[in-house]
Amino acid sequence: MEALTRIARAGIRVAELTAAEEKANSAAQMAGLAYGLAAIGPGVGIGIIFGKAIESMARQPESAGMVRTTMFLGVAFTEALALIGFVAFILLKFA
Amino acid sequence: MRVLVTTQQGQLLEVRVNADDAAGTEATATESETASAPNPIAPEGKELIWGAGSFLVFLVIMRVYLFPKLKKGMDARYTGIREDFEQADATRQAAQSDVAKYEAALADVRAEAAGRIDAARQTVDAERNAKIAEANSKIAAKRAAADAELAAARAKVRDQVAEAVSTVTARTTQLAVGKSPDGSVVREAVQQVMQSGAR
Amino acid sequence: MQAAEEGESTRGFHFPPINTLLRWKDITPGINKVVLISIAAALIGTVLFLIAANRDHKTAPKGARNLAEIAVEFIEKNIIMETMGRSGLGWTPFLLTMFIFIYICNVPGIIPFIQMPATARMGIPAFMALLVWVVYNATGIKNQGPIGYFKNVLFPPGVPKALYILVTPIEFISTLVVRPFSLAVRLFANMLAGHLLLVIFALLSEALIQAETQRIFLIPIGVLPFGVLMFLTAFEILVAFLQAYIFTTLTAVYLGMATHPEH
Repeated sequence: MEALTRIARAGIRVAELTAAEEKANSAAQMAGLAYGLAAIGPGVGIGIIFGKAIESMARQPESAGMVRTTMFLGVAFTEALALIGFVAFILLKFA
Repeated sequence: MRVLVTTQQGQLLEVRVNADDAAGTEATATESETASAPNPIAPEGKELIWGAGSFLVFLVIMRVYLFPKLKKGMDARYTGIREDFEQADATRQAAQSDVAKYEAALADVRAEAAGRIDAARQTVDAERNAKIAEANSKIAAKRAAADAELAAARAKVRDQVAEAVSTVTARTTQLAVGKSPDGSVVREAVQQVMQSGAR
Repeated sequence: MQAAEEGESTRGFHFPPINTLLRWKDITPGINKVVLISIAAALIGTVLFLIAANRDHKTAPKGARNLAEIAVEFIEKNIIMETMGRSGLGWTPFLLTMFIFIYICNVPGIIPFIQMPATARMGIPAFMALLVWVVYNATGIKNQGPIGYFKNVLFPPGVPKALYILVTPIEFISTLVVRPFSLAVRLFANMLAGHLLLVIFALLSEALIQAETQRIFLIPIGVLPFGVLMFLTAFEILVAFLQAYIFTTLTAVYLGMATHPEH
């Protein structure tokens, strides 16, 4: 009898997900897709930057230092787009 | 305590169990301290403040004390190295000028030696030429004398031959004709033959 | 929301909720692991340069002094001379401190038993970016005067007057908003992504190697994510250096732009 009242007091409640939680779930599922899309452009861009940098270094090895610095700056700017996508992914999925 | 249950249809169900278990609530509390964060991206106050504080302290120490000291040491060493280089350069230039001086002196001496050798050679040449000329003239004189003697000897021999031939011819003619020819005519004829005839 | 807090689960592989990976309990009130790392970074940097500065400077540098001098020359030759030229050499202590602090905050991400880059939390990158923002704006105002600086930033010379309707808002946003934001997000997101990658492959290797069923197949397969984990750890060393370098280089570029506006 004691046990039964305890269970009753525990009050097992079965509820369906609210609308807000369902929205959060779908947002979490879309997050992966969103990040995948955000990575396409910067991926191509960084490839082009490195390719061109290697080309110009091969053409003019004496200017390799300057090319490398500029290359890293370009990569940093391009990469920022992918990273903003990554942050958006974290926001959608975990916030 | 909350539990998620997935039904066969894939529907998410939430099950809440309200247990007044002291240990359970405490576990939930410690869990929520780390797990129920507002946002993984939002900066956290204490991290921001401590990070800023430690960076600023580091920056001030570096800026005011450590970096100038290190840089002074580096500059001092680089100036030392540069001075060493300059000293080495100066030494090398001094050595080079010494070498140049030595070479100039050497060239002077060489020129002088060459002049002397030239002069000596000219003297020797002149002497030799004079001697050669003297010897040549002597040789020419001797040869002229020898030629003259030879010519005289040859003329004498020819005269003797002509005399002998004339005698032989006169005798032959007398034997053949029986008359003694005129000596001057015979001698003239012989002379003519000897001079025009083939050698 | 609920699903995220309880962690993800795909066929028995449990990914812990992200905040348990990133948020650390206080060791003493107000001090957690990230705070400790940032204090340690400042302390290590100070001690390194203290040892270096007190060594005999006449002989060839060795050990700590060598390291410190390499860092100074790296900042001077590869960052300042390439972006600001000779006139920027006065910024060496600021950029050097920034580089060393960020690098030592990045590197714990791959040091065993610490394995948490302090810059994978937004606090330090946000503060640094804000500091850079304040410093380069102050430099610009000091060098060109408040009117001249904002005129150069908002109305870049050599642009047709009609285009200012378009150019001015873009320049305003890119110089005053996007620069600090992208500076902070670049550092933070790079380190966070690296940290999460390491966590994912470490958990995957652990789950496969300690599998309870089908051990014959799963344990050999577990070697693969472990190899990737090793590779990524080596890669993270490069990333830690590269992010410190890029943060410092961009700071130098912004400072150079503020000192000498484009003609």
